[in-house]
Amino acid sequence: MYPDKKSNNLISILIYCLTTLIGLLAFTYPLIFPAFNQPDNNPIPRLAEMPLMMTLLLGICLIVLLYEVQGQSVDAKLIALLGLLVSINAALRFLEVAIPGPGGFSPIFFLIVLTGYVFGGRFGFLMGSMTILISALLTGGIGPWLPGQMFAAGWVGMSAPLCRPVVRIIGGEGRFREVIVLAVFGGVWGFLYGALLNLWSWPYITGPANQYWEQGISWLDTLNRYSIYYLVTSLLWDLARAAGNFLFILLFGEPVLRALRRFRSKFSFQYEIPQADLAAENSQG
Amino acid sequence: MVNTWSWIFWLGAVLIGLWSTRNPVYLGLIFFILIIVWHLVKTGIEKENFEAGPPVPISPLKISLLIILFSAVFNGLISQYGKTVIFTLPAWITYLGGPFTLEGLVFGTINGLILSGILLAFFVVNLALPVHSLVRLIPPAFDNLAVIISIAITFMPNTIRQLDQIRESQAIRGHRVRGLRDWIPLVMPLLVGGLEKAIGLAEAMTARGFTHSEPNGSNKNLRISQVFGLALIFSGWLLQFISSSGTFGKGMIGLGLGLIIFSLWIIGRRTPRSIYRPEKWNGYDFGVILISIIVISVYWLPLLHLDRRSLFYNPYPAMTFPAVDPMVIFITLGLLAPGILIRFQGGSEYSSVEPKPEDDHF
Repeated sequence: MYPDKKSNNLISILIYCLTTLIGLLAFTYPLIFPAFNQPDNNPIPRLAEMPLMMTLLLGICLIVLLYEVQGQSVDAKLIALLGLLVSINAALRFLEVAIPGPGGFSPIFFLIVLTGYVFGGRFGFLMGSMTILISALLTGGIGPWLPGQMFAAGWVGMSAPLCRPVVRIIGGEGRFREVIVLAVFGGVWGFLYGALLNLWSWPYITGPANQYWEQGISWLDTLNRYSIYYLVTSLLWDLARAAGNFLFILLFGEPVLRALRRFRSKFSFQYEIPQADLAAENSQG
Repeated sequence: MVNTWSWIFWLGAVLIGLWSTRNPVYLGLIFFILIIVWHLVKTGIEKENFEAGPPVPISPLKISLLIILFSAVFNGLISQYGKTVIFTLPAWITYLGGPFTLEGLVFGTINGLILSGILLAFFVVNLALPVHSLVRLIPPAFDNLAVIISIAITFMPNTIRQLDQIRESQAIRGHRVRGLRDWIPLVMPLLVGGLEKAIGLAEAMTARGFTHSEPNGSNKNLRISQVFGLALIFSGWLLQFISSSGTFGKGMIGLGLGLIIFSLWIIGRRTPRSIYRPEKWNGYDFGVILISIIVISVYWLPLLHLDRRSLFYNPYPAMTFPAVDPMVIFITLGLLAPGILIRFQGGSEYSSVEPKPEDDHF
């Protein structure tokens, strides 16, 4: 590997790690924040800063990560492919807005998981975040929650290639076992997506003492309260999303994976000048 | 119509106002201003046939009022803390039994006003700005993403039409959607058709000279500055937790943000961008921006001759009337500016529905 390529890869890794770390911390801000003793003894202004900080941090991480991902060998073929796939997925979300499914059910995640798994984490991240952005633009869903939604949906696609080693270990490539692994993965993200996005509004919601956010309590206590809050208010809602993801991937997984793999080979060719032509060109020059 | 950037500054001013104060008088005023601006934008669009953002299925005003009502009553029932007791619920009612206090009610209303204000502000901007105005906001550094977004938005109506055609064709063949499995004959042709279309589009783009964009490797130094920017944001944020004032941490976050924005600005300058129909600016647009900056300064900066203590308010343990600074109220009223402009300013050539402006060519 050339030193230049090595340093470029190192910068990429650093950007991925830092954005993921800051993004994760921004999401879990309400869980970490109360454990720190506020020396000014006036938590209310700091509480007011929290959603602003979360939006700002997630927004800036998303911008840096999107720039990094879009610049990694994205050519006309991949841009056209991504544009069309995002359009299909956004159309599915458009249908979901028009005809809402039960609870948090959404038909968009199965394509994000499957494209991320087949085309790689970068493609999956763009697929997830762009789907949310396009559907927000078209349905009037732009708001401070958008960077968080884009980030979380991007992570769904980015983490999908993590299923590859599991599929390899169980020897399931091209078999139904592969679809089951992806379906379970989609199901888990159904819960995680809801749990992460709930955190944005949780500090503002009041409820029974064992469920709501409070300044100055320990980290474990905050986590415990959030877990109870999540179980009581969001579990059923997210169950519909998780079950939807699981069933969609289970039913559509095999044919969609086959189609995506067939087109991956069509899209992965490179134009190369034959050696003889290159030599002739050089001799002329 | 008001320029897109003026709307962005206005949105920033409203959000900073909502996030910086817990004074119910100021929050109520901002909420009232938002309702007026929303109404003026809505009637302006209907009257002048302006091009607007996507329609919203539910009335934002109803949602906002429901949020405030729910938050106030729920907090009053749950908190059971405060000196001014309005009534007392019997102790045998689980969770809710106990005193219902005025302080709890006011605290809940403040939370509701902040949440519904944020929602309403974005509703107004979503209503006022058409999709292509929002796409124009994508910075030049994100040229590839802008192309992806343009393709997705352009093909979206076509994709929905294609889905309808597939559904009708399958129905003619006797196919009916009864369960989830019956969606396979609808989704698969849509997906394969989309992928085929992508090949055609890629060939057309390549034939028209759209090739590989500049790889990230050529911006190595700027990417390193982004890494430093992220590291500064991360360290500054951690410092905020442990330092007493948080000023040093905020400074580091600001420096990190500055580094990242500067690097993206430099990259954007290197990316050629053609705009065939630039958006018009006039004195009123600059006026809205100026007013927004003044509002941001009042709520965010420790300005001289301005008592910022009135921004902070806590109704517990005994309710007191919040302190009010007439200067803050007067400046906050400036947020009405874009609504008044839409009410009294005629539509421009750019903003009317006919003729539609072309999208940017990236």
